[in-house]
Amino acid sequence: MSRNFNKLLNYSFLKVSLIPLMLWIISTLVFILLRIAPGDPVDAILGSGANEASRELLRYQLGLNESLLNQYLNYIINILHLDFGESLSTQEPVLSIILKSLPASLELGIFSIFFAVLIGFPLGFLGLKNKGKKGDYISRIIGISSYAIPPFWGAMLAQLIFSVNFRIFPIGGRFPIIHSQPKITGFLVLDSLLDNNFIYLKDSLYHLALPSLTLGFLLSGIFSRSLRINLDKTIKSDYVNAAMCRGITKRKIFINHALPNALLPIVTISGLTIASLAGGALLFEVTFSWPGIALRLHEAISQRDYTVVQGIVIITSLLIVSLNLFVDIFIALLDPRIEY
Amino acid sequence: MQNNFLIALFIFLISLSQYSCVSKNKSKRIIIASSGKIESLDPARANTLKSLQLLNSLGDTLYELNNKGELVPELASEMPIFSKDKLKIIINLRRDVLFHDGTSFDSNAMKFSFDRFKRIGTMNYILGNKIKSIETPSKFQLIINLNKPSSSINGLLSSVNLTPISPTFYKDYSDKFLNDNFVGTGKYVLKRFSNEIQIIDPNFNYWGETPNNEGVSFIGYSNSSSLYGALKSKQIDVLLSNSIDDSQRNNLNLLSNNKEIKEGNSPATEISFISLRTNSYPLNNLNVRLALSKSLNRKLISKKVSYGLRRPSRSIVPPILKKSKQELWPEYNPVEAKILLEKEGYCNGNILDLPLTYRSNVPADKLIALTWQEQIKNILNECINIQLNGVESTTIYKNLNLGLYTAVILDWTGAYSDPEAYLTPLLSCNQIDGENCKKGESVFSGSFWGSNTVEKLFLESENLNGYQRLAKLIEIEKIASDSIPYIPIWISSQKAWSQNEISKPIFNGAGIISMSDLKFIDE
Repeated sequence: MSRNFNKLLNYSFLKVSLIPLMLWIISTLVFILLRIAPGDPVDAILGSGANEASRELLRYQLGLNESLLNQYLNYIINILHLDFGESLSTQEPVLSIILKSLPASLELGIFSIFFAVLIGFPLGFLGLKNKGKKGDYISRIIGISSYAIPPFWGAMLAQLIFSVNFRIFPIGGRFPIIHSQPKITGFLVLDSLLDNNFIYLKDSLYHLALPSLTLGFLLSGIFSRSLRINLDKTIKSDYVNAAMCRGITKRKIFINHALPNALLPIVTISGLTIASLAGGALLFEVTFSWPGIALRLHEAISQRDYTVVQGIVIITSLLIVSLNLFVDIFIALLDPRIEY
Repeated sequence: MQNNFLIALFIFLISLSQYSCVSKNKSKRIIIASSGKIESLDPARANTLKSLQLLNSLGDTLYELNNKGELVPELASEMPIFSKDKLKIIINLRRDVLFHDGTSFDSNAMKFSFDRFKRIGTMNYILGNKIKSIETPSKFQLIINLNKPSSSINGLLSSVNLTPISPTFYKDYSDKFLNDNFVGTGKYVLKRFSNEIQIIDPNFNYWGETPNNEGVSFIGYSNSSSLYGALKSKQIDVLLSNSIDDSQRNNLNLLSNNKEIKEGNSPATEISFISLRTNSYPLNNLNVRLALSKSLNRKLISKKVSYGLRRPSRSIVPPILKKSKQELWPEYNPVEAKILLEKEGYCNGNILDLPLTYRSNVPADKLIALTWQEQIKNILNECINIQLNGVESTTIYKNLNLGLYTAVILDWTGAYSDPEAYLTPLLSCNQIDGENCKKGESVFSGSFWGSNTVEKLFLESENLNGYQRLAKLIEIEKIASDSIPYIPIWISSQKAWSQNEISKPIFNGAGIISMSDLKFIDE
């Protein structure tokens, strides 16, 4: 056990030691790609009407007149000091922009995963229980359609049906206009609970419901299909047959043997899905005017706000890399077949 | 079991719909939605229409352009007085104005705001080198010393970017921006600000008439569909956006015709045009430019792209500013266009290839380009071949002065209410070689066209006022229409739509909505 634990520790250490290298590669690529991309922040800020002198002045003020090497070195040194600089268009610290918008994306991501599991797992079980029957086909159709629907279309459809036609949910935003939102952690649901304010809790859940349910539904197909396929495969495996021969009840076999093994690939899928949602669900955030990190990134790219783009990409990369690392270690811990 | 679940789901949805009704705006506050977010409320930094709209409600300018196109004093007590040599402007100020922080508005505050804008304003280029210095001979008198006579200065003084701010409040921000707060003299005071939501309350110490409503909540949605849906589902009271898709614009127009909502229009101030690179082949040929101008069926484009809601225009100056509807560019005439092209050796086997660039992130531009391309295919197929090229707007702006685009679709709204704010950025040139501009504004507009006569007329216009000046500016436009460095397409106005319970939105002459005039009808 202790030898295994040491091995796992070494494995984890190796994975963690690769993070700085990955981040350096990512941050360098972002820097280069942004400079290669046509257009510059000066044009985005001043538009096409400004004269050359104003452009040059602003370029100087933003530090864009320095050589690329100098800009790069400053950028890397500042990152090492956890200083992502200020937004070129608003002069607001990039870290503050990220800290303001990241919780919104994470909150949406967490609730969406919750709904995806809530919808996907029962559908997967339904399919397996009614294998080859009507229930299986229904589960399969819903599962395949949910991940075949383009997210932007699904989001717009949900908005049209539930916000415009039935007027059940708000069309966008994260909180009612008339109230000032609680500011503790940035996670409004959590903040409302910490604040003991159930009106705010209701308000934030009310705004969160449609985007998270829609995204959850669109993600549920992956879960239902994976669960259905993996469980089916596991149930047919030799060790399940052996357990049945030993007279262990079906229920015990299912809960203790089949389900944990079938869930292993789903843990990987969940990890990857959560990791991708940590960077925000761009099309959802744009459609629902959800003030998350993906919407900020989208705006920053269109304004060529280099510092904001760089900061957001580095932070989301760090999150994604860390979550993947966590999933890798977790799987290694759960699955004895994995060698490390 | 299944039935119980369905009943529970039904009850849940009904309760949510009830909740949605409960959460509606109960007070007499007006909810206005617009696209995008507000990055900054600093007049020295604000450059988006949305932030200028809000600033206009929170602050006052010295003068304002009313919806008849007349300049009227706001914080100034009367119209500016020019010295004989026209190098000095005396402006007397109102004496009864207070900033939102309780300090009084005076000439020092105006000087502070002017100087700050000149020093740090991102749009400070609009001042050019017109203003030499500002004097404050008395508490309520301001003297602006000019470097050279400038008759456009009146219009400039109505610019929202020159909204006075409280020197006391902005003491620590005299050399940097204050993005999330504002203390001015306007009808409203800022209650809450975030990039997405801004809440303003009436200023009960306002020197003029107080607003007709109990405040305005301003919300930004990130896309056109949400804005449209929010108005249709009555989640907002007023929709204010010029970036809403043309198809939705049309639907809103139909709803307004059916009296289901109200529509307000500003005077048309945004011009869309095609900039032609005049310094190189093939558009260095005047006849080719003339032929292209005559081949553009503006009425068809307006009908197909904007459902007829944007007015076809053959002018680069809004009618409200030049006080005339005179259109100087040649009319649509494909027969003459063909004759001109044949004269230059095109047609009959020699097809003119014209790369036309449009801003890929502006849906209307793409539709304009496609419509013109199809129209040319139908009528001048053997003479012109339009090749479309979609490029994101920021990239286009960056590359315009490099001369990368033979023809490119752009739009322009003047930074202040004066014909000069349209003519100068498009036609002015500092260094002219023949008809080519080497350095100057027209380079940054992508036309590279310059004319010594135009420069001379610009200088002459600075010494004139009133109709004489307008005549001079129209003369400049006439020269441009003969040389065709640009082809105007249409002119658009700002639009706002309100629910029937709310009064019809009203705009001033600069295309800014008057929020204080919005009110609930039952009041």
